[in-house]
Amino acid sequence: MPGRQKADDVPGTFEYIIWFVGALLEASVVVCSLLRGPFRRYFTLNLYMSTSVLVSVGRYLVFSRHGWTSPEYTYFYYYSDAILTICLYFALMGLYAIVFEELKATMPLRVFMMLLLIGTALFSYSVVHQSESRMLTHYVVEISQNLYFVGLILTYVLWAALLKLRESRVRVIQIVLSLGVYFSINAANYALHNAYPNLRVIWEYLPPAAGMFLPIAWIYAFMRFDDEARLAPGRLAVVPR
Amino acid sequence: MSRISTAVLLAMLVLAGAMGLKTVVTTHGDGSVLMANGTAPVPPTPWRNGTAPVPPTPWKNGTAPVPPTPWNGTAPVPPTPW
Repeated sequence: MPGRQKADDVPGTFEYIIWFVGALLEASVVVCSLLRGPFRRYFTLNLYMSTSVLVSVGRYLVFSRHGWTSPEYTYFYYYSDAILTICLYFALMGLYAIVFEELKATMPLRVFMMLLLIGTALFSYSVVHQSESRMLTHYVVEISQNLYFVGLILTYVLWAALLKLRESRVRVIQIVLSLGVYFSINAANYALHNAYPNLRVIWEYLPPAAGMFLPIAWIYAFMRFDDEARLAPGRLAVVPR
Repeated sequence: MSRISTAVLLAMLVLAGAMGLKTVVTTHGDGSVLMANGTAPVPPTPWRNGTAPVPPTPWKNGTAPVPPTPWNGTAPVPPTPW
């Protein structure tokens, strides 16, 4: 396996490079967003990316001080992952607000998203409340997992809404599609991991690859397209003369 | 009001769909956790320290069948003697 020291199975050079490049790409999303102007409009996306950069720095500090298998790094990793998943949920909320802004459906949308968040939190609690030890940790991991799958469904719903509303803003389409691909890769990878545990080479490297794909796709969306850029109509209506 | 009710219904539908999808994806899972945010190396699951087999629970001594509880019936359960 590239860069991995097999003896004690600790992250090697390859993992460090992926980690560093990933954090750099996430920071680049925020910088590109600031440079091109849509920082406030896509604030929740930038909030997610900024938090991700900060979390990466924090993880590195804890990792370098305590080591990979230390309880400190383990707990920091899982608790910070829950925070990131909640930020990702808010990023989705922001995308919904942008897509549905012309329908004047802000209030029902907020009610919908907040109810879903509360419902997920309660459901997660109902799953773990009988845990006798480390209940908070179980809860944090459970809510992170559940929110992840809620996010996956919400992204597909948003994708369907884009098609239904005939959305033509290229930047919005690019961001939503890349988010859908990102969620799908991770979910498929997790299912693959469970079905074929021997294919470690694949399931171990897909999540970092997806983690790098998302900021690259968003950088492309911010740098390549303006907010007003529209898709050219696929076919023009033929007017009979 | 109807729009709010629709939002509530949709929220419940999405939650049910997401949990159903999670169940499908994790059906044959080994208890590992799906971690997707960032590119940092994933540490072991916090409640899976080591790979040793899990010992039996301490209050199940032996493999003999468990005797019936002494308070059959519907009478109120007395306080524990200790």
